Amino acid sequence: MLDIRNLHVTVEGREILKGIDLAIHPGETHAIMGPNGSGKSTLANIIAGREGYTVTEGEILFEGKNLLEMDPEIRACEGLFLAFQYPVEIPGVANLYFLKAAVNAVRKYRGEPPVDAMEFWDLVHERMELVKMDESMLKRSVNEGFSGGEKKRNEVFQMAVLQPRFAVMDETDSGLDIDALKVVADGVNALRGPERSFLVITHYQRLLDYIVPDHVHVLVNGRIARSGGKDLALELEKQGYALYNEEPGRARRAA
Amino acid sequence: MTNVAPLFSDPYRQQFAEFMANRHEPDAIARSRRTAFDCFEALGLPTRQQEAWRLTELNPLQAIAFQPPTHAAIDAQALPALDTPTHRLAFVNGRFAPGLSRLRELPNQALVASLGQALLTHPERIEPAMNRLPGLENHAFALLNSAFWEDGVFVHLPRETVVDAPIHVVFYATGDDNAIHPRLLLVLEDHAQATVVVEYRGAGRYLNAPVTELQLGAGAVLDYHKIQEESPQAFHLGGVRVQQDRDSQANLHLLSIGSQLARTDLQALLDGEGAHCSLNSLTLVRDTQFSDTHVRIEHAQPHGASEQIFKSVLDGKGQTVFDGMIHVRQHAQKTDARQVNRNLLLSKQAHAHANPRLEILADDVKCSHGSSTGFLDPDAEFYLRARGIPTDQARALLVHAFANDSLNRIRLTPLRERLNRLLADRLTLDITEEP
Repeated sequence: MLDIRNLHVTVEGREILKGIDLAIHPGETHAIMGPNGSGKSTLANIIAGREGYTVTEGEILFEGKNLLEMDPEIRACEGLFLAFQYPVEIPGVANLYFLKAAVNAVRKYRGEPPVDAMEFWDLVHERMELVKMDESMLKRSVNEGFSGGEKKRNEVFQMAVLQPRFAVMDETDSGLDIDALKVVADGVNALRGPERSFLVITHYQRLLDYIVPDHVHVLVNGRIARSGGKDLALELEKQGYALYNEEPGRARRAA
Repeated sequence: MTNVAPLFSDPYRQQFAEFMANRHEPDAIARSRRTAFDCFEALGLPTRQQEAWRLTELNPLQAIAFQPPTHAAIDAQALPALDTPTHRLAFVNGRFAPGLSRLRELPNQALVASLGQALLTHPERIEPAMNRLPGLENHAFALLNSAFWEDGVFVHLPRETVVDAPIHVVFYATGDDNAIHPRLLLVLEDHAQATVVVEYRGAGRYLNAPVTELQLGAGAVLDYHKIQEESPQAFHLGGVRVQQDRDSQANLHLLSIGSQLARTDLQALLDGEGAHCSLNSLTLVRDTQFSDTHVRIEHAQPHGASEQIFKSVLDGKGQTVFDGMIHVRQHAQKTDARQVNRNLLLSKQAHAHANPRLEILADDVKCSHGSSTGFLDPDAEFYLRARGIPTDQARALLVHAFANDSLNRIRLTPLRERLNRLLADRLTLDITEEP
């Protein structure tokens, strides 16, 4: 579904990603773990199409198409979703209006008519339950005055309504207490299925107790230092990243 | 010397003589016209050497020889309507158009009429109120209005009179080079209450120089809306004077969309304890439009409150000026005055001038002001795009959100909804799917 091949990315002339290879197949959930500054968020942003990043080498294919040539909105319409690490507050745009505009933009791209009002309302209500979101949040401006937990729940809620085929969760667990973390993880787990893939980016192993990944990759200094199964996360929890930082020369490349 | 701005006093003097020869009105009114004209002659039209007019580009206006307005008939379809029963007064080129107006039954002794008619039927109510409010003494266009006003609106609500239906006034102007001076005089006695919508529209390159006087007695409540949607070639130079007695509340909304050159000078005197004035202004400019708002809020008595929110959206080579003064007199303790100015630039060639000012002579007050000018938030734009919303729509949504915040402060639902649609149309945004 998503193929990242030898990806090199610079930001303001500094190389952040130094040759990433990653293949994510339909139905798989991959976790990327790594210390601060390892390039985790750069990877999330480059996949979503944020400006300010330069790809110097390599490519990303999304279902065989060249992702890097697509505008961010086209990526979204093609079925890609980024749950933001820092969701943006947009005063004056009601959450529900925003969601409907997004749903209809995607439908238009697919040549479908705008969503039926009743159908949309039913979907919204069903998905709200999923993340235990209060109805009042629909009428409030997008993320404005939301607590950290509410913002992250709103990201998962949007994802649940938009139903992407591939979602990147950029440190969705950061700043959450354990209850909020469970709600967010339940929301993600409910969306997992054979046709949908996830890339879960996190600093902490804790999230992966609740969203159990199929594969775990350790990103250190712009490279995938190690890949493995879900047990790798536990190993990291015990040993920390120090091992990789201290001995970068011995770190194994991802296969 | 060619760099001295022409005073035009001779053509004006001749016009004034001809104008006065045809007026038959009480002496007091005629005297106030002469006084105003004399002041105007002494002052002349403003120049950019004057601080208050430093940023206002008057050259295109001064190049035109404006004439007394011609007669015109227009179709009712050209006039804006409110989707609710109203007391409606329409004017074409400054003259009352009874066929386009509709006056409803009013509570006892209340008067809503054209100024021309009221001057015949109730001169005793007009004389003590007309031209009595302080402010704009040196404003050339306000003086020209005081000299040349031909017609307009007179609203007089005696004590405790509440007029529920909005008073809807439309000034429509048409024809090149017409100079129109509409006058609006509104007197709310103690605890009276009214909602007034004044709309300026037109076609052609005319000059509209309206003056509005709003007088609020103790405990009176007024919602006043000035909707400036003049023709793109027009010049609009208006003055608004407000005087508030104790515990009165003035909710003033200014919307500036039309005109090549627009300026509104508003002066409010909070002259009673606990008076409250809120001022909500939205200005949209594009192409080479210029829109200027000069405001002075004068806190003269204790426990007064004023809040001002001025927003502008600037596209093309548009320019706005916001000059806002809060003056708190020594006696006006416990004043709570706030002022916010926010300008959204959609183009690098647009320019927003902001000049917020505070003059505080009392020592126990809460006053704040702030001004910010900037482009659309790129993070917000990216967030919307990352959800599939195309760039143009994302930007329009953000602009709409910025501007709609002002419109949403309007309590009069049919007006607010109409302006919401107007804004969306201007941004080519489909808001029909608003939940």
